[in-house]
Parts: sequence; C-alpha cells; structure tokens
Amino acid sequence: MRQRLSLVLVALAAFLAVLGVMLRVWVYPHVVAVPDNQYQAVVLEAKDATLIDYSKMAGVPHQHVTIVETLKGDAGAAEAYQRRTGRSVVVWDALSYVLGNDGKRLSAIPEVYPFDAHTQEPVHCCGENVDGQALSRVGIEYKFPFDTQPHDYQYFDPQTRTSAPIHYKGTTQLDGLTVYYFEQTIPWTRVPFPKAMPDGVAITPQQIDSLGYQRWYTTVRKFWVDPVTGAPINGEEVHNEQLRMPPSSGMAPVTIFSGDVKIRPDYQAATVALVKKERTLLLLLRDDLPTGLPLLGVAALALAFVVEGRARRRTAPPTLPVASVADADEHGGAGETATAKGAPAAPL
Amino acid sequence: MRALIAAAVGAVVAVLMAFVAVPLADQNGPTTAKPLLTSAPAHP
Repeated sequence: MRQRLSLVLVALAAFLAVLGVMLRVWVYPHVVAVPDNQYQAVVLEAKDATLIDYSKMAGVPHQHVTIVETLKGDAGAAEAYQRRTGRSVVVWDALSYVLGNDGKRLSAIPEVYPFDAHTQEPVHCCGENVDGQALSRVGIEYKFPFDTQPHDYQYFDPQTRTSAPIHYKGTTQLDGLTVYYFEQTIPWTRVPFPKAMPDGVAITPQQIDSLGYQRWYTTVRKFWVDPVTGAPINGEEVHNEQLRMPPSSGMAPVTIFSGDVKIRPDYQAATVALVKKERTLLLLLRDDLPTGLPLLGVAALALAFVVEGRARRRTAPPTLPVASVADADEHGGAGETATAKGAPAAPL
Repeated sequence: MRALIAAAVGAVVAVLMAFVAVPLADQNGPTTAKPLLTSAPAHP
C-alpha cells in the first residue's frame, strides 16, 4: 500500500513539474491575448490650451479642450480574418473625438487598427486606415506588447501616418506599480487636415489646401506602461499644431492647438485598478504557477522517498545479532548470506 | 522501473492537459488581458 502511495507521489511530482514548465512555454504565449470584442473609452483634457478661432484666424488662449477616445473591437472582422488565415487578430475601430469649451465638436478622426492578438505585430487587413486614408502600419499603437521590455519600440503616429522610435527612458513607480516610462518626440511635420472640420466651420479641407494653407504638427508623447500587460496606465502629450501659409505670403503661422493633454484623473484611477486586476492573472500564469508547481513537485518527490523508505524499513527482516554472524562465519561464511538479506532493496 | 513509468505517466498527463487547455481557453476568457488606450489627441 505504501509503495503504491509512493508511486502516486512520483507521478504527481512529474505532473506538477512538467505542468509548470508547460504553462510558461506553451500555455502562456498561446492563451494570453487581447480580447477581440472589447469596448473602451478614455477622456483626456487639455486645460489652459490655445485653440484657433477660424472666424478670426487667430489662436485664442485659456481654452478647455476635451478629447474622448474610444476603441471598439470589431469581432466580426477579426473572426473572419482568423477563419481565412488561422491567425488571431484584433481589429480596433478607434475614434478621437475632440470637444471645445462649448461642447461642440472640433474634430473627429477615425482609425482602423488591425494587429496580432498575441504579439501585437501589425496586420494589414480589414480596411486598415487613419481618417479614411489606407496605409500599412509599422510598430505598435495605443498599447505595448505583453511582457514589455525596457527598450525602444517603433510607435505609429496617426497624425503623420508614419512610425518612429518611442524611447525607453527608465523605470519608475506609479500608483504602487513598477512601470516603464517611454517618450516619443515628433518634430514639426506637415500633416494632412482631418476630414471632419469643426462644427460651424463651412470650409472644407480641400478648400484650405487650395488656399495654400498647411497644417504642421509636433508632439512629445509620454507613456507610463505596466510591463506585464503592456497597458499604458498613464499618458500625456505636449501637443502643438500650426496653420502655416506659403512663405511667399509673409504671414506668420497661426496656432491651431497648443496644450498639455492628460488623462482625466478619474479615468486614470479606473485604468490603474483595471491593470492591477489583469496583471494578477498574467503573473499567475507567467511566473507564480510555473515557479510554484515545480517546487510542489519537488516536495511530492521528497515525500515519495520518505514513504518508500518507511515501507522498506517495515518490510525488511531483522538483522542477525553480531554474535550470531560471528558464529555463522565460523561455520563456512553463512553470515554473508544474512548480511545480504538485510541490505537495502533495489532503489525505486 | 515502476517509478520511472509513474513519472512518465505524470509528465504525459501534464503535457496533454497543457495542450488541451489552449484551445479550451476562449480568446475572450478570463486569462486574457485588457489593453488600455491613452492619449493620441486628434486635430481640434
């Protein structure tokens, strides 16, 4: 009975050790994925921003600008792509909706962003675009990969429609989490006018273009990223846009927008709470179980040895007294036989 | 010898469990992690 128990413990030890390894090398990379049907909204604010008044063609300071960003996972498109190719993808329909002091729309830029659900590599399908312009992204956008590493990444900038490095600048603490700080600077670059102009502005982007006006943009983009989930738990942009006229006109640039855009504190707090919950699951699968299960396996194996040792001590016949052995030796070496009987049995 | 067989059985069961767990885990199940978006302000 005890020997059977020790065999069960050996099997359990092997099971736990192998399961721990398999969780890390097989289950974790295959199971951890971005959901394809998620909906999220984040509200950002730029207090004391400067904003253009198109009727005066001048920048007006001390404006409060609100930006509502939404991400909606297009599950239908993602599943259709997976059926065709076997690859798990996520297709995000994103919208940046900008509101002024009066609550009226200043701008709305839609995006379609398809990417690999596990690795976050960009996938070129499903109508990928920014503001209706088809393109092929390079690098990441919105979210960093699971298990983010402390090095630079290529980050897609939707204004310039190009990718540039976002630099790892260090590790810090934020709301009780260890986070990586990344920063990207986009230098002054000419960018297209968005298709949706502010409410009440009759001029179209094509008409602005034909007048020779140009839209230029620069930003410093900052992210504080939880390395386990790759989720930015805070973000900020020091964002500037100008309306520039051809040099021959002699007219000075006009500020379209200038402000420090930050996540509203209530949304930031909700983000931190969500990340803390999600990272617990990931850490369990990535670190805790792969480490803990093999340790339990070692304990089970040690217990198996103990049980087996006790079983053998119980079943082993009593050793002959020394005197008897000596007597036996005198009678033709029979003591060797007695010693051999008392020797340990074959190992497990 | 019996111990080796027991260990092999335990290991094989663990591998099978790991292989079965992957397709069983729904992409939108509890083991997925929710991403979060942050700032990419549009043109005002």
